[in-house]
Amino acid sequence: MTNQYYEFFCPVKVIAGKAALEHIPYELTGLGAKRPMIVTDKGVRAAGLLDPVIAACEESGLEIISIYDDVPPDSSTGVVKDIAGIYRREKCDSLIAVGGGSAIDTAKAVNILVSEGGDNIAEYSGAGIIKHPLKPFLVVPTTAGTGSEVTSVAVITDTAKSVKLPFTSSFLLPNAAVIDPRMTLTLPPHITAATAMDAMTHATEAFTCMAKNPLSDAYATAAIKKISASLLKVMDNPKDSDGRLELAQASTMAGIAFSNSMVGLVHALGHATGAICHLPHGLCMSLYLPYVLEYNLETIRGPLGELLLYIEGPEVYAATPASRRAEASISALRKLRDELFKRCKLPRTLKETGTVEEHQLDTIAEMAMDDGSMMFNPKEVTLEDARAVLKRAWA
Amino acid sequence: MLAKRIQPMVFQARRLYVELMFQVMGRALQAVSEIDAAVQKEARALPDGFLFEMMVMPDGSRLIVEHIGNGRFHYHGNTAPRPVDLSIQFKHIAHAFLVLSFQEKTSVAFANDRMLVDGDISYAIRMTRILNRLETFILPKLVAERAVKEYPSNLHLPEKLFSAARIYLKVASNFVETVRA
Repeated sequence: MTNQYYEFFCPVKVIAGKAALEHIPYELTGLGAKRPMIVTDKGVRAAGLLDPVIAACEESGLEIISIYDDVPPDSSTGVVKDIAGIYRREKCDSLIAVGGGSAIDTAKAVNILVSEGGDNIAEYSGAGIIKHPLKPFLVVPTTAGTGSEVTSVAVITDTAKSVKLPFTSSFLLPNAAVIDPRMTLTLPPHITAATAMDAMTHATEAFTCMAKNPLSDAYATAAIKKISASLLKVMDNPKDSDGRLELAQASTMAGIAFSNSMVGLVHALGHATGAICHLPHGLCMSLYLPYVLEYNLETIRGPLGELLLYIEGPEVYAATPASRRAEASISALRKLRDELFKRCKLPRTLKETGTVEEHQLDTIAEMAMDDGSMMFNPKEVTLEDARAVLKRAWA
Repeated sequence: MLAKRIQPMVFQARRLYVELMFQVMGRALQAVSEIDAAVQKEARALPDGFLFEMMVMPDGSRLIVEHIGNGRFHYHGNTAPRPVDLSIQFKHIAHAFLVLSFQEKTSVAFANDRMLVDGDISYAIRMTRILNRLETFILPKLVAERAVKEYPSNLHLPEKLFSAARIYLKVASNFVETVRA
């Protein structure tokens, strides 16, 4: 009898491709919603990304009742309370998050308050607290990396206590994720690169860490194939809307993969580095990915070797001896990072960031040891191991 | 037919085994925190008075330990003096049995969604490291290798035997004290 066991869950409707935004009114009406509120940030609004969303709704006679465009990069309990207050005052009945991870997480938290009641979002922190479906909720991602549109987690900072509150419930998942290439067309090169490498890391860790399963594997490999085929093309031609759509879909697929199989040491180190040195998450992922794969190599040789097919294509895969494929996958990822460095100076080492100082490595290692992702890394990581990986990633 | 008739006895035996293992583990956690510097170092990061629970859902067997300061644990049995700070909950007694009979590693059980964490995840990671350290001491190497993700290469036989003997002695004394009380 097999010892294998896994769970896989993703009830989010994915609406992807040309004129996807124009499906929003139909989707909301189908959910019985008539008075949507948009949650976004100033950058998204300034880039004009709200215009096609609003136009798509108004053309179908669906009025956007309220727009909150002041979500900060690190959203807080106060912001969530304010938005919930506006939602109630304006008698809204649904939410549309337009933005990256912060706007999406904020909208998830707002949805808890406006559905469950109360003003203190901290009361709902933790796993399994929410027991009922929430208000209709659509997500329109404007970056191709976080995968937040298909994850059942939100993180909000409690400013009073200076702690990050996690919220986990399948009810946080949106009813639909709307992936439209228009939303990522104007992303600057360094953000395009960093967010795509974030998605690449989600998929690679999903495929190599402990909770991998056949369904998450399928999403992870498809995501890696799309990113490998499209990222450099988009970097060379940012207006390539087909390539943009490929990256956006890959991000969603990687999100589905990692939310069902979890991530490992790259994320543990990345979360700690982000918290201590305030580096963007995607950049941290890109930076640590090859070093962690090298560290885990002997534990993940099989699956990592398989990934060569999706990173480099069938010719390279067939020409590489099976015993060398895992190393070849790491080399291919290093080559991709070198190309990104040439095009947008995306740092490949901690030293290249110019932000991290060598004396901070110990603190990063210590913080990473307590990160939840550590549990799912295929190799047991000691503090000395984490320090050694950081040292290799330094320069 | 026979299998159907003995099934209730199997279920009862499994329940008793899990209950016994929780009692041993709770006492062993207290013991290892009294003798091992590495465990004490890990536990010192927990707040004083921190209550940790491991239980079987919905209301099955449980063990509760408290961090009483300076890296030391106190075993409270199956009753918490106040609401617990961190709870690791097996979804079913069958899952608890898989882990406690060392058929499934703790990390694999987490990866397989056999358990839920209610509380601060970073403390759960720390407590898992402590449980792993305990298991490497008290279980024979062959069994411990089935329980933990990676058996530590720097744990040599004399240290293991000496620590295991001290832990088992303390666990036995605690059992006797409980019976006397």
